Amino acid sequence: MRKFLLLSVFLLLTGCDSSTPELHLFGWAEMIDQQTIRRFEQKYQCRVRVDTYDSNETMYAKLRSGGGGYDLIIPTQNYVGIMAQQGLLQEIDQEKLPYLKDLDQSVLTPLSPEILKYSVPFSISYTGLGLRLEKIPDFQNSWEIFQRPNLRKRMTLLNDYREVIGCALITLGYSVNTTSKEEIEKATRLVLEWKKNIAKFENEQYKNGIATGEFLVVQGSSSDILQVVEENPLVSFQIPEEGSVVAYDMFAIPKQAPNPELAYHFLNFLFQPEVAASLMQRTYQLIPNRLAYDHLPEKFRENPGVFPPESVWEKLEPIWDLGENVRLYHEAWDSIKD
Amino acid sequence: MRRPRFSGFVSIAVLLFLYIPILILIISSFNASRFGGEWEGFSLRWYVRLFQDREIWHAVQNTLIVGVTATVISTVLGSMVAYAIFRFKSYLQKISFLLTYSTLILPEVLMGMSMLLLFMTLFVPLGLTTIIITHTTFCIAYVALVVLARLEHFNIDVIEAAQDVGASLTQVAFKIVIPMLMPAILSGALLAFTISIDDYIITSFVVGPGSSTLPIHIYGMIKFGATPEVNALSTILILITFFLAFFTQSLTKESVV
Repeated sequence: MRKFLLLSVFLLLTGCDSSTPELHLFGWAEMIDQQTIRRFEQKYQCRVRVDTYDSNETMYAKLRSGGGGYDLIIPTQNYVGIMAQQGLLQEIDQEKLPYLKDLDQSVLTPLSPEILKYSVPFSISYTGLGLRLEKIPDFQNSWEIFQRPNLRKRMTLLNDYREVIGCALITLGYSVNTTSKEEIEKATRLVLEWKKNIAKFENEQYKNGIATGEFLVVQGSSSDILQVVEENPLVSFQIPEEGSVVAYDMFAIPKQAPNPELAYHFLNFLFQPEVAASLMQRTYQLIPNRLAYDHLPEKFRENPGVFPPESVWEKLEPIWDLGENVRLYHEAWDSIKD
Repeated sequence: MRRPRFSGFVSIAVLLFLYIPILILIISSFNASRFGGEWEGFSLRWYVRLFQDREIWHAVQNTLIVGVTATVISTVLGSMVAYAIFRFKSYLQKISFLLTYSTLILPEVLMGMSMLLLFMTLFVPLGLTTIIITHTTFCIAYVALVVLARLEHFNIDVIEAAQDVGASLTQVAFKIVIPMLMPAILSGALLAFTISIDDYIITSFVVGPGSSTLPIHIYGMIKFGATPEVNALSTILILITFFLAFFTQSLTKESVV
């Protein structure tokens, strides 16, 4: 019995160690579907190992503490700068990614050359409102909806300090990256008013809540809410008129990546127009590849939650790293959560 | 006659309180709706998806490799620790007991952090090996304590009697001590195994590429939907856990007699 156990453990351990090249992807769960990954594996005779994380912080902490061995990671735009400064990322060899010329530059303007030196854009999503319009009388598309007492306890805000304070800042006409103490204080007061009317700060369950009608208004990511809309057409998604936060998920290659070549192949594979188009329709995120747009059904192409009109784009702003000044936001968030 | 009725009511209430969430989870794993809440019909689609999800099975495989290996190593070491603490009573054993025991009460974050620092200082690449070493470290304490509890009732005269009739040390160990302690060793091993397979915090520090265990993988999944699949997986895990718990219980029952 003991021999058998030892033998089986031995077999299991050695079984993992084969000579097929492996691509270690460290990303968000559910971002890239299994069929796409299998097709890539077949084409390049390799194995893709996906490890997932739940927040940028987790991923950053892992790489920072020396957890190397990943070939490709998916940080949000504001983490690329931090990680590049720490020397955790390789420069991207643009020559190896011929598809870059097909990128839709019109949606990539906020990304600085410094960021594009160390990462390539993968997908774009927006913070907005998930709504059950049939139960909201005289709806107005504004963040101020959180001020309405007649929707009390039927609304949620994200449990994320930059997103919540950011949207309050936008409502007041300020930048989401402001470092002015006064502006942040005003936004904090606004959030405190919203807090009286919301059920809770919530990052996960709001999707179920809006699907079942437990909540009528939720702050959330376009990609998440549009996936709920697909299942329940009573739900809708809107980006408020004042503007909102836009998030870029970027691909980056860590400095100690064991197999960067395979990572480049993977990117080229993923950005083929048909592959990117099918991925977009699954995740409802915008993959900025112009050629892929032609492979989308017209209805999807016209979905303003994926392709916001120009007038909305002007009012979208990504969150940036503020260095020391982020302390102001931490303090504000502490006073909100108390 | 009122008191038994009241205590019966309390125990039923407590059981309901403990098991209703689990029941809801099991029911919703059969719900066709992705976002739960409303019942959209009985469906096994999440189980089908679960069985097609390669990453989950890779995580299950990792969890089992870690669990089995760490359990085997820590059971051997832990039992030896317990026996040494029981058999010899100098200050060394007191220190040894204290050190073993303290890994139980040490905050998990601290444990994970210090293991990570150790591996980084020694340039050990993070992966299955580091997880196995770490799990062995904290499982030893559980095994040792379970075995030690059993040793409290151990009659040392048996060993001396055997030695009197000429049994060697190996014979004493394999023919007397180990068989007599077997129930405790096994339930210690099962305890170690269950703790190993659901550890998240410590593992999250020492996990490396391609070595995500099930708890790590599930935590990553919850963030981006796919929850019904997690429900299906949890249902299966609950069944396995109940089975293991039942098995452990019958072992400890035996040891009382």
